[in-house]
Amino acid sequence: MVVGEVASPVDLLVIGAGPGGYAAALHAARLGRDVTLVERGAIGGTCLNVGCIPSKTLIEVADAYALTGRVGSWGIDATSTVDMGRVQAHLAGVVSDLTSGVSRLLADAGVTVLAGHGRFTRPGRVSVEHGDTVEFLDPRDVIVATGSRPIELPDVPLDGDRVVGSAELLSTDTLPDRLVLVGGGYVGIELGCAFAKLGSEVTIVESEDRVLAGFDARTTRLVERGLRGLGVGLCLGHLAVGTDDHGLIVEKTGGGDSGARVTLPADRIGVVVGRRPDANSVAMTRSGAKLEPSGHVSVDVARRAADGVYAIGDLTLGPALAHKATAEAEVAVDAACGRPAAFDPTTIPMVVFGDPEVMAVGLTREEAISAGMEPSSFRFPLGASGRARTLGDTEGSVTVVADAEGTVIGVHAVGGHVAELAGEAALAVETAATVEDLAGTIHAHPTLGESLMEAALGLTGRPVHTR
Amino acid sequence: MAHVFRLPDIGEGLDEAEIVEWFVAIGDVVVRDQALVEVLTDKASSELPSPVAGTVLSLGAAEGVRLRVGEVLIEIDDGSDTADAGVHPPPSATESAGDPVSGSTPRLADTQGSMTTARPKAAPATRRLALQSGVDLNTVTGTGPAGRITAADVRNAEMPVPASGSKPSTHPVSSSNDAGSQPLSNTLGQMPSGRHPLRGIRGVVARNMVQAWTEIPHIHTMDELDASLLVDFRTRIHSMDRPGAAQVTPLVIAAVAAARALRRFPMVNGHVEGHPGDAIVIPEGVNLGIATATSRGLVVPVVHNASTLDLFTMAERIASLAAAARAGDLTTADLAGATFTITNYGSLGGRFATPIIPPGQGAILGLGAIVERPVAVRGEVLARPTLPVVLGADHRLIDGDLAETFRRAVVDDLTEPLHLLLGA
Repeated sequence: MVVGEVASPVDLLVIGAGPGGYAAALHAARLGRDVTLVERGAIGGTCLNVGCIPSKTLIEVADAYALTGRVGSWGIDATSTVDMGRVQAHLAGVVSDLTSGVSRLLADAGVTVLAGHGRFTRPGRVSVEHGDTVEFLDPRDVIVATGSRPIELPDVPLDGDRVVGSAELLSTDTLPDRLVLVGGGYVGIELGCAFAKLGSEVTIVESEDRVLAGFDARTTRLVERGLRGLGVGLCLGHLAVGTDDHGLIVEKTGGGDSGARVTLPADRIGVVVGRRPDANSVAMTRSGAKLEPSGHVSVDVARRAADGVYAIGDLTLGPALAHKATAEAEVAVDAACGRPAAFDPTTIPMVVFGDPEVMAVGLTREEAISAGMEPSSFRFPLGASGRARTLGDTEGSVTVVADAEGTVIGVHAVGGHVAELAGEAALAVETAATVEDLAGTIHAHPTLGESLMEAALGLTGRPVHTR
Repeated sequence: MAHVFRLPDIGEGLDEAEIVEWFVAIGDVVVRDQALVEVLTDKASSELPSPVAGTVLSLGAAEGVRLRVGEVLIEIDDGSDTADAGVHPPPSATESAGDPVSGSTPRLADTQGSMTTARPKAAPATRRLALQSGVDLNTVTGTGPAGRITAADVRNAEMPVPASGSKPSTHPVSSSNDAGSQPLSNTLGQMPSGRHPLRGIRGVVARNMVQAWTEIPHIHTMDELDASLLVDFRTRIHSMDRPGAAQVTPLVIAAVAAARALRRFPMVNGHVEGHPGDAIVIPEGVNLGIATATSRGLVVPVVHNASTLDLFTMAERIASLAAAARAGDLTTADLAGATFTITNYGSLGGRFATPIIPPGQGAILGLGAIVERPVAVRGEVLARPTLPVVLGADHRLIDGDLAETFRRAVVDDLTEPLHLLLGA
């Protein structure tokens, strides 16, 4: 402790203004707490500034551009060009609309926003550094939402120019000619699809023998087929081991020629191998909190990490997704305000905005079987969906999984626009809806949502548009 | 690491048990030998201790659910290797610098399947209600479609249990009959309005009764005997100064008489196996079930090898079983193996009834209350204490003549207890 440091008492302090932190600040203010929010970067965090929002905007731009190439058979003759400078201006506009909206919400709620780097100095005390000034705060409660940082590869260090992370790729105003992406997870798939559609020659390097390794094999197959259809090269079963003047050096991990190296030519290399919790920048352990071996903060069901300290979002175990952080924010604030609170979701929905899109909610049939259940499932092919026909996107399917009692325990979909089904799917699983509930709910025609109903009807033995 | 504990074999040949009450919840820290759960097999409840110290990761079943021996009861993390605790995704291998996993993305699906089979089926609003009401959803049985827990289920679970009396006293109460006469606690017949899951002892009783009522074709034969000598016999024995004498009651005397008759007529001690019937099973020994009312429901402790016991030993055995039943201290062994049951509804004043034969037995003896009734004795109407006796028999196994003969043998012994001196 610095001799003579003077600390100001604050009521409830939130560190980090991403989807977890700002939601926590707003909820706490609504409950009458005097809230201070510390953020060292931009309001909105990774999601709004350099993650979900710009990436989905770029994907939409790429889709619009790609559409002109495939509407000839619809009777439209169109040509188009991409101006990445103006694309970036558009992305910045979307981001700025959202972040300024959040700032306004925070201001309206009476939240005090401090720009600076917050970190614990000891239990009960937080320093906030801003430039040369340091301020000390003694908060009654602290909600830590500092999120995560991209994992870096020691053999492929980022240089901010040729070798970059996803944030730099999303903000590029020059389209790479040859882009190599290291990592076949959802970020790699999404960026790969977008840049391929925009005109880059894309290769995805993945050490596993398939992309989206956490998903079932059928989903992976359809996603890989989609990638190849866009001209994306898949370099599976290879490790990124270094760079040279021409591009990325990869090494084969298995088979007879294991260890064989080859250079993938690239003028831009994107390292997108995942994210790790950022507990260090806030000196989390000095708060009295403990860390898991994975680097996540250990929390109880109410997200309590230590006396008066709560951690949410990417800091805690579970998928590093914005919607998980937002859900945890309410739990942590409730707990800090003495209300009964528990983070206990049945499922955290997962979407991948590739081409086709992927949506996963709850258990797959295989997961249910290995959990000792006796599930049944029905897969409705989008080729039988009227709406999919009108969209010109009939690849893929919607699968509903039910337990032995007919309760919906999972919904999994691959296909165009299926990410939008995640809400209804999650509602069904969270509310323990039965297959009959889904089948008996009238769905508007023609919409993709009908596919859920059709799959449920299939499970009840009375499918309409399929057998 | 996570230790998985499966339901152990806790009783003689019983292969399943009902989870009555969890004493721990997910996340609780438990010490070795701490009671984790109360389970109910047939009608004995047991508390199972924790074999290790650690943190509870998951419970294998909700309260009210029946588990088979060998099914997962509970998972406990003993902290010996938290990296492999079973619930946490393994640390991303990419965390360690230089680890050759470049190009591999952490698997998102590892963390999306937060569902478990033991998870209560309840919508978020219901879960919130439960949280606010302090109701553990693992203890609530859902009444909605496919077992979904509704808000009403949570509110019912929240309702206070009616003030239950303390454990009923085991102090003998004098009454017309015997040790079976025990005032039940003032909770008799009490239950809050609403729909209640059928479980615990009540659930066991329900299943057994349906099986008995639907599978066993009953006949009943009734008689009313002059109990003058029986009452006199009991009075004179009470005046004897020897262990067990004070516990001799008409029920005890009837138990000795029944055991004697069962030795003479082994078919009445037997039962039909299977439905509608595969085999007749005649056991070696006579094990008498003594139906006993307790504040938690009807239980039937068993006097094993009853035909080898003298009157006084039988009296002591029945008294101690009745006390244990009321205290809830019966063991699984105390409840297993009955070959014939005696039910003494007379302790509550009843005269005639048509008792139901427990599954796995072939007959049941019912005793009514001894009251003074007009009896014709050699052309004269006299007031005499009389005891109504009913024999219920499985008509697949026991024909009318056997039922009548057996019933008469018991009636003869009770009418003239000196017969008991004659042995089997």
